[in-house]
Amino acid sequence: MPIIQTHELTKRYGRRAAKSVLAVDQVSFAVEEGQVFGFLGPNGSGKTTTIGMLVGIINPTGGSFQLFGASDPKGLLAARSRVGATLETPNFYPYMSGRDNLRIAAAIKGVGRPRIEECLELVGLADRAKHRFATYSLGMKQRLALAATMLSDPELIVLDEPANGLDPQGMREIREIIRILAGRGKTIFLSSHLLWEVERTCSHVAIVRKGTIVASGTVEEVVSGGTSVLLRAADEDALVAALEGYPEATSVKRSDDGVLVSLGSDDFAALNRYLAGQRIHLSHLAPHRQSLEDVFIDLTRGDFDPMTEIAS
Amino acid sequence: MKTLSVLLRIELLKTVKRRAFWVAVGIFAAFNAASAIVRIREAQLYPQDPFAPPFALPDSWSTIIGESIMVGPLFVAVLMILLFAPEFTWRTGMQNVIDGLSKKRFCAGKIVVLAGLVLLFMASPILIGGGGALVSPSEGGPVLVRSMDFSYMGGYFLVLLLFGSAALMLGALIRSSGPALGILLLYMIVEELMSELMARVGEAPRDATKYLPLNVFDELGNDLVHYPERLAAVNESRVAQGLAPLEFLDVEVLAIAALAYSAIFVVIAFVSIHRRDL
Repeated sequence: MPIIQTHELTKRYGRRAAKSVLAVDQVSFAVEEGQVFGFLGPNGSGKTTTIGMLVGIINPTGGSFQLFGASDPKGLLAARSRVGATLETPNFYPYMSGRDNLRIAAAIKGVGRPRIEECLELVGLADRAKHRFATYSLGMKQRLALAATMLSDPELIVLDEPANGLDPQGMREIREIIRILAGRGKTIFLSSHLLWEVERTCSHVAIVRKGTIVASGTVEEVVSGGTSVLLRAADEDALVAALEGYPEATSVKRSDDGVLVSLGSDDFAALNRYLAGQRIHLSHLAPHRQSLEDVFIDLTRGDFDPMTEIAS
Repeated sequence: MKTLSVLLRIELLKTVKRRAFWVAVGIFAAFNAASAIVRIREAQLYPQDPFAPPFALPDSWSTIIGESIMVGPLFVAVLMILLFAPEFTWRTGMQNVIDGLSKKRFCAGKIVVLAGLVLLFMASPILIGGGGALVSPSEGGPVLVRSMDFSYMGGYFLVLLLFGSAALMLGALIRSSGPALGILLLYMIVEELMSELMARVGEAPRDATKYLPLNVFDELGNDLVHYPERLAAVNESRVAQGLAPLEFLDVEVLAIAALAYSAIFVVIAFVSIHRRDL
């Protein structure tokens, strides 16, 4: 039985058709027990809205989902007691200490005081636990959020951008904590756009674009979803022009090392014959392993405008 | 029962750690205590002065409650908004739900806060004022509380509930402290203007204005509604001056109206939290 199963889950904001926004569009995926599942997508792609529906703070407008096999309100409420989750920024009472904030979460989850101290120790906040949350650095806030998530020793941990705003040291700490939790057999649902972090941490991924899932599977499956080759030739312009006419080429990109071609099949001999027929003789032909980032950029092309990002 | 205990624990923790709560309670308690001290002193200095009001029970109840009614409901409303609306700006309400509190229970927690504030602001004048009256040199009557004093206390309880539930509703609908407080104050002005306009239209609209929330609040908080002898004396004086006698709705009708408004406000808050995304 999957821990999370969504079926055509949909969220539309606004009632008037002309002004409404389709944030999540018929998303279906499953997360099995013990997986570290990365949920990737650019800003505004519907990641947080999807998680919001799973944790009960956003009402879906279509489709359905199951948590631990439960889909009715009463069953979902019980299932959510087996989930630890934080959404976007850490949400705590700024005028209360870290420990008091955890006391509130612990009371809701039905957890005793010793567990609060254990979690504070685990995230390295025991020394600062009596200080007001408002005085914490962003890294400490993220760690407190992780402590709150782990209070009830949940079977499923949902983390939305847990490394947001952290320095490299902070990111490493969060990654270590996630690894420890994964090592304890927890199922982890991790939303992030730090792709190299996800590639190093997750066993499975789903890539979401404009509210729909465009790729999903194990990290290996998603990364090797297409075959890529790196080519070099004396006349690179002619090489690119020839490749653009090759029917099996799904994308052609220049890189510092040569020309990177994504192919619909792994028949490199056919590619070589085709180029020879075009009077282009290769000096280099090698399979190229794509990174998750390459796949992500390919799949979400057009969603990212560097000038807009820089301006903002 | 377990859920109620959890809600009590978490809402108590959120409340007692909030500085604004202690500042508001402190100001209100100081106001009641100062008023009690001044009148005890007057009773000591001028025991035979007919204009210095006796500070003894049960006669003092109308003064004690009357003073609290002037400010108590506003304190409850302001505190209700300050303790509730930031749950949306800090997104802590959302986190409470993520942690396992259903939206229904989150809302129930706020009703617990409302009940707590009403009881606290009800108890404060009774304890301070009543305690002051007990140590005052003025002599009291044969009973500590008469039925009309109970009626006035009930009226005070209902206006606290009415204002508190209105604040709960505004907190849920507007989700931000400043605008919610602004709209609460604006509504008071709007209802006043609306009442005047409706009164000019005709007799039926004028009668209808008596059932508007602020008028219900005004009448329940008016001592003349609860003390018939006092009302009779005032009306006798007004008739002698050629003025029309004062008329109020029955206390029972006012109580039902206040309870109905409170229930409607709470239901609106509940539906808003339940149906909207956090």
